[in-house]
Amino acid sequence: MSENTIISTSNLNLWYHEKHALQSVSMKIPKKKVTALIGPSGCGKSTLLRCFNRLNDLIDHVKITGEITLDNEDIHAPATDVVTLRKKVGMVFQKPNPFPKSIYENVAYGPRVHGVKDKNELDRIVERSLRHAAIWDEVKDRLNDSALGLSGGQQQRLCIARTLAVEPEVILMDEPCSALDPIATAKIENLIELLKQDYTVIIVTHNMQQAARVSDYTGFMYLGKLIECGKTVQIFEHPKEELTENYITGRFG
Amino acid sequence: MTLLQKYLANKPAGSAAFSLLKEKAIRTVFFFTAFFAVIVIAFIILFLFRDGFPIFTQVGIPGFIFGMDWTPTAMVPSYGIFPLIVGTIFVTIGSMVFAVPLSIGCAIYVSEIASPRMKSILKPAIELLAGIPSVVYGFFGLVVLTTFIRTTFSIPTGETWFAASILLGIMALPTIISISEDAISSVPCEFKEGSLAIGATRWQTIRQVIVPAALSGIAAAIILGIGRAIGETMAVLMVAGNAAIIPDPIWNVLSPIRTLTATIGIEMGEVPVGSSHYSALFGVAIVLLLITLVINLSAVAILSRIREGKTLHITDRIFVSRKTMDRITGLFRYLAIACVAIFVLIAAPLWLSVSILAVIGVWYVAKDRLTQGQIQKIAFAFVVAAAIIVVAILAIILEDIVVHGLPAISWEFLTQPPQDLGRAGGIFPAIIGTLYLVAGAILIALPLGVGAAIYLIEYTRESRITKLIRTGVDLLNGTPSIVFGLFGFAFLVLYLNFGVCVLVGQITLALMVLPTVIRTTEEALKNIPLSLREGSLALGATKWQTIRKVVLPPAIPGIVTGAILSIGRAAGETAPIMFTAVVFSQRFLPTSIFQPVMALPYHLFILATNVPGSSTNRYGTALVLLMLVIGVYSIAIVIRNHFQNKARG
Repeated sequence: MSENTIISTSNLNLWYHEKHALQSVSMKIPKKKVTALIGPSGCGKSTLLRCFNRLNDLIDHVKITGEITLDNEDIHAPATDVVTLRKKVGMVFQKPNPFPKSIYENVAYGPRVHGVKDKNELDRIVERSLRHAAIWDEVKDRLNDSALGLSGGQQQRLCIARTLAVEPEVILMDEPCSALDPIATAKIENLIELLKQDYTVIIVTHNMQQAARVSDYTGFMYLGKLIECGKTVQIFEHPKEELTENYITGRFG
Repeated sequence: MTLLQKYLANKPAGSAAFSLLKEKAIRTVFFFTAFFAVIVIAFIILFLFRDGFPIFTQVGIPGFIFGMDWTPTAMVPSYGIFPLIVGTIFVTIGSMVFAVPLSIGCAIYVSEIASPRMKSILKPAIELLAGIPSVVYGFFGLVVLTTFIRTTFSIPTGETWFAASILLGIMALPTIISISEDAISSVPCEFKEGSLAIGATRWQTIRQVIVPAALSGIAAAIILGIGRAIGETMAVLMVAGNAAIIPDPIWNVLSPIRTLTATIGIEMGEVPVGSSHYSALFGVAIVLLLITLVINLSAVAILSRIREGKTLHITDRIFVSRKTMDRITGLFRYLAIACVAIFVLIAAPLWLSVSILAVIGVWYVAKDRLTQGQIQKIAFAFVVAAAIIVVAILAIILEDIVVHGLPAISWEFLTQPPQDLGRAGGIFPAIIGTLYLVAGAILIALPLGVGAAIYLIEYTRESRITKLIRTGVDLLNGTPSIVFGLFGFAFLVLYLNFGVCVLVGQITLALMVLPTVIRTTEEALKNIPLSLREGSLALGATKWQTIRKVVLPPAIPGIVTGAILSIGRAAGETAPIMFTAVVFSQRFLPTSIFQPVMALPYHLFILATNVPGSSTNRYGTALVLLMLVIGVYSIAIVIRNHFQNKARG
């Protein structure tokens, strides 16, 4: 396995009840790059994303076979602690989901649950994370206000800050802009550009322009299968599969 | 011309005006059924004050409320209810110390940890616990719990503050569990996923995100539990010892104690009508009513705020700052320390004290060395233990009554009148009497309740009038059952001169279950989609036609469930009927509704408290009553589940 791969799946299958939602998915996610997962609704891209931090564990009647490795370690191995895994693999959700706590407490939540108690250290982490998520200037004067009072775009950047505060290696983003207006979307996209200096980002998106704009690599999924995966430029300009080409050119979707 | 056109053309002139009139008349009828709740609560307050007023002029309000001696039958009677107020508050606090941790643990287990299978076992078990009549709880407390306390703590009698608290705690469990479980389950899944995705453990997520987000719902649950505990009469009367004293020293949980409700329950039957003592008991009821009204209205206010928030975006959820949270947890910590200290220092035998202290010591030493995973295991162990204890309580009560009651059950027991003050013979008149009372109560409450709900949901928008009606229903719902009994006695038995008879019991029970019928019918009507109504109205159907043919039929399962729950509640109640409808022993069945009857709960109460040597028949009566009520509740649960599954498809 190459040095630059951080997550890799091989022959990954997932059943939800009787539905075969992921079928023999094998892919490699390169380190410190942005990888986009695209495909029509219900193709399994969000399901695949939720496999990477084992958030599907929460759902009843899910069966998984095959292997997923993070840093060459099987994330389903009995020795793997799911809490540690999720610390390494952060996630930003489709709908911004700040906790009903203050802005400060939202960001401090992660470090706190991982045992940081020192107030100065927490202050430092909160400020750094908020700055990194490009929202510090907007909230620095009202850190003790409810996070629920922020606008949707601010909430989403707060959620990114919250994820950054535990210093993950990988950040999963599940259609992070689908609930946002174009201006907020542009801010998040700029942020993703900055994040890849330090983090691996995997983003699920419905918006092909967005995938083309922000990602280095793209995987196209259809009906639970990974049809094609490669450099974004190559996928968008010279797709190998006809299905991919049809989707990208808008012939279905 | 089609047939329909012909029909429409031939419609007699003036029929439009007639149908308009008819619609108006129907609307007026429904308005009166809805306004009935307000009238009832007004009458209750009116009659309590009418009969309670003399005592306030006689001893003055401060003298009544803060007077230290309650000796109404002494040569020089004294009517100070302060010890009774203190008793009520102390018993309630004690019950919450027992019930709150257990309930919240159990609610967390049911909503966050239990598998769907476990859930399907636990939820009916909790509902069953809610269905056990209070006189059966009292009987169990008297026979099993007080004996247990007497032997464990080696004291002369087990009828104590401690016993009453445990028993009331048990009775408050289902209320607190089911409402906090609701609150916890309705915390949006996004919060949970967000926290887990950061790498918080499940326990950290529960403790730091889910429970804080559900806090207002849990608070409302506790307040309603308190209301339940304060308003309870029969159970507390049977186990509290009923000495009108303030415990000495004040934290002595093994002292007997007396509550406001128990005072009315004990003394009302023997008091001369119109005397100062009679008036003082109504004064007690006024104080009791005021306390419960304040408590219930505040819970209703909190819950309605949450419900409104639910339909809007999550940003409208109540935001709890860290400072508040810290204050709340701090308060709870001190409370817990105080309670443990009292228990360890005063009540518990040495071995128990030592082991409790040992556990606390080990926890403080080990706390900071444990990993989050280990802490989660310990926390889950406690939560699971809470759920097990709740189920175990239910199992112990059922087991005790079934095992001891079964030998008493025979064909003769079910079909013969009692002999030798109930020590021998059967309980046939009591079974029939209970059936009479319940049937009459539901016949009165159902039309009124369904009519009120139809008016509230179908005929009005939210306005001052509906607010008034809803408040009336809420107040009625929070009124303690003994207060209904008192009202029935003062208004129906004496003022309207009906005497103690079946009809009065039926009306009193009907008033008591009316809020339940209104609520469940409202819920059922709310679940009918608006589009159905619009579809019918768009075809030119009148409002009443739409309600009768489109809205009501699919709502019937919900209405039936409400009616059955009311039947179960009415069948098990003692306090509302004991001064209004029942006699202890009667060889023949009543021939008209103006004669008194026997009733199962009252029969059990008298056997358990006043007839020594009737042990077998007590258990037999308890078992029959329990089976009757549980049977009724099970039918309701089965109907509800059946239609819920159907609705889901």
